[in-house]
Amino acid sequence: MRQSRHEAESDMTASIDGERSAAASRTAWRMAGRIGFYTLTCLIAAFFAIPLLWLISAPFDASPTYAVDFPEFTLANFATILANPYALPSLLNSVILAIGTAAFVVIGAALAAYALSRVRIPGRDALLYLLLLLSSVVTGTAAMVPLFLLVSEIGSAIHPMLGIDSHFAVMLVMSSGLLPAAIFMLKDFVDGIPPSYEESARVFGASPFRVLKDIVVPLITPGLATITVWTVVNVWGNFLVPFILLRDADRQPAAVLMRTLYTEAGQPNLALLATFSLLYSLPVVLMYLFVSKRYGFRFHGGIKS
Amino acid sequence: MTQIALTDLTKVFDGNVTALDALDLTIDAGEFFALLGPSGCGKTTLLRTIAGLEQATSGSIHLGDRDVTRVPAGSRDVAMVFQDYALFPHMTVLDNIGYPLKIKGQSKEARGDQSLRVGEQLGLAHLMERRPAALSGGQQQRVALARAVACHPSLFLFDEPLSNLDARLRLEARGFLKRLQRELGVTTVFVTHDQAEALALADRIAVMESGRIRQLGTPREVFRRPANTFVANFIGSTPMNLIDGTVAGGVVEVAGGRLPVPDELAGVLPSDMKVIVGMRPEYVRLSAQPAEGSIAGEVAILEHLGATTLVTVDCAGEAVSATVPEDAEPEPGDRVHLAPQPGRMLLYRHDDGELVEPRTGDSA
Repeated sequence: MRQSRHEAESDMTASIDGERSAAASRTAWRMAGRIGFYTLTCLIAAFFAIPLLWLISAPFDASPTYAVDFPEFTLANFATILANPYALPSLLNSVILAIGTAAFVVIGAALAAYALSRVRIPGRDALLYLLLLLSSVVTGTAAMVPLFLLVSEIGSAIHPMLGIDSHFAVMLVMSSGLLPAAIFMLKDFVDGIPPSYEESARVFGASPFRVLKDIVVPLITPGLATITVWTVVNVWGNFLVPFILLRDADRQPAAVLMRTLYTEAGQPNLALLATFSLLYSLPVVLMYLFVSKRYGFRFHGGIKS
Repeated sequence: MTQIALTDLTKVFDGNVTALDALDLTIDAGEFFALLGPSGCGKTTLLRTIAGLEQATSGSIHLGDRDVTRVPAGSRDVAMVFQDYALFPHMTVLDNIGYPLKIKGQSKEARGDQSLRVGEQLGLAHLMERRPAALSGGQQQRVALARAVACHPSLFLFDEPLSNLDARLRLEARGFLKRLQRELGVTTVFVTHDQAEALALADRIAVMESGRIRQLGTPREVFRRPANTFVANFIGSTPMNLIDGTVAGGVVEVAGGRLPVPDELAGVLPSDMKVIVGMRPEYVRLSAQPAEGSIAGEVAILEHLGATTLVTVDCAGEAVSATVPEDAEPEPGDRVHLAPQPGRMLLYRHDDGELVEPRTGDSA
């Protein structure tokens, strides 16, 4: 009897010890797992952060390489780039193209999204999806030759504004590529406005345009801000369309100018490229900060803005 | 003060759904008029057609002596209050009330003064700078009313104005609405699916079903003498007893008993005519003693309604209900006798459910 009790006690201690060591090893594993996880995320973060670090440090370096170094501090690169007769005008061209295209896209998308949201036509959704599908073709690489011919042969014949070397023509082409997706995004916002708001205004005598101006536009401002930013970013980064449609170096935007920053030996001029890239990215960053502060980026209608 | 005249008004949606079916209706100047019916009966379509938000398929609408059938919504001089109030969320209360005036081209000062005055009149003075989202349901409703009042229309249209309020607030708003309409004297049409609301507010009620008006009358007429079994079923907080019966000489055989034929119909009904006997529970007397002209049954269910109790009695397989004062409740299982109050029993034709009237009572 006594013997068996003793055995039972020792069994119990053993099992408690066992549990303790199991718990300890579980904790250790969890710790190891965490450490592994954070190491991995740090590596991934570094992978993306290093090019950005290079972008920030290289412009201030007298002789930048592909490596991220602590720079030999100098502002000479900025002086050199400002001396380039095309550098600042190209940034201005980028601004003109971005603002112009954004205006076309925002106004066009607001009108179209409102109409598509409120008017019942058969096959409306099919039309929208078809447009969305085809829009990727318009500014896609495959359409570049027909697009060039369209602008240089037909556009130029109608009016120089629609021909080669016209900012207006570039805006039209890029708007047509961006509009379907913009309409698609904005329609979600318009769909969220109860029809009774507009009907109420209509009964009080408001014209359709008045309803759009007084009721619909103020209520979809976050959506308009979203597509404005999205359009500007798209235009700002687009190389192919302005490269093909603008032959005159005075009219080319920054994205196109970038390709000319080479040394006499035909090597990329890293100092100038980095400096110009920094200048090139600043306006977009500033715009993000401004819009984010003003409207706050949120999830809207399932589309991350 | 504007009279509304609808003539042969028809609205067909998508070529096959008839929402309004050749309606003829005249609403008098200054009247508080209710369109009552179950959902899908066309009442809201009728209101929206009067407002101009829907185009009539055929027929005409006259406001006063103007034919407005083809006049666009904004030019009819009407104000509409929507079920969800449709307050503009990006405008303050002041701007919301002033919006119709802004459309009419009034200056900022003029419409500010006007909005403030109307807002004060409706008890909103302390809320003028708030956005609609910061208001309670009752306050939102008053802002919507103020917006309608501020533009001095010749006609108010209310689409379920009280249905978004909770029960207690609804009673309060009901009194408020009625007082406001009295004070302004503007012709008002409102849509509701709540028969109690229609009975309480309206000068006259049109009960609608599938795009037609089933009965038109004062709340009292509609409550006392529903023109057909549809209206009889729809009106009243406790549903009317509608029991199949057969005429046999001077009495109607119903639910295992015999009730005398109403006086005004005596002698004009053919024997063996199939009828539906209609009695409101409020107009049925319940007694423990057998009496002449009553039906007998066993008490099945008691439902407490506050000051009264609804007693459902099983009379030869038919459930007949009666209301009794709370202190005169029978016990379930009691044997009781039910008799309609004199002049409150109605007979409907079995085939089409229409009320048997003295003049038309000879034909079945």
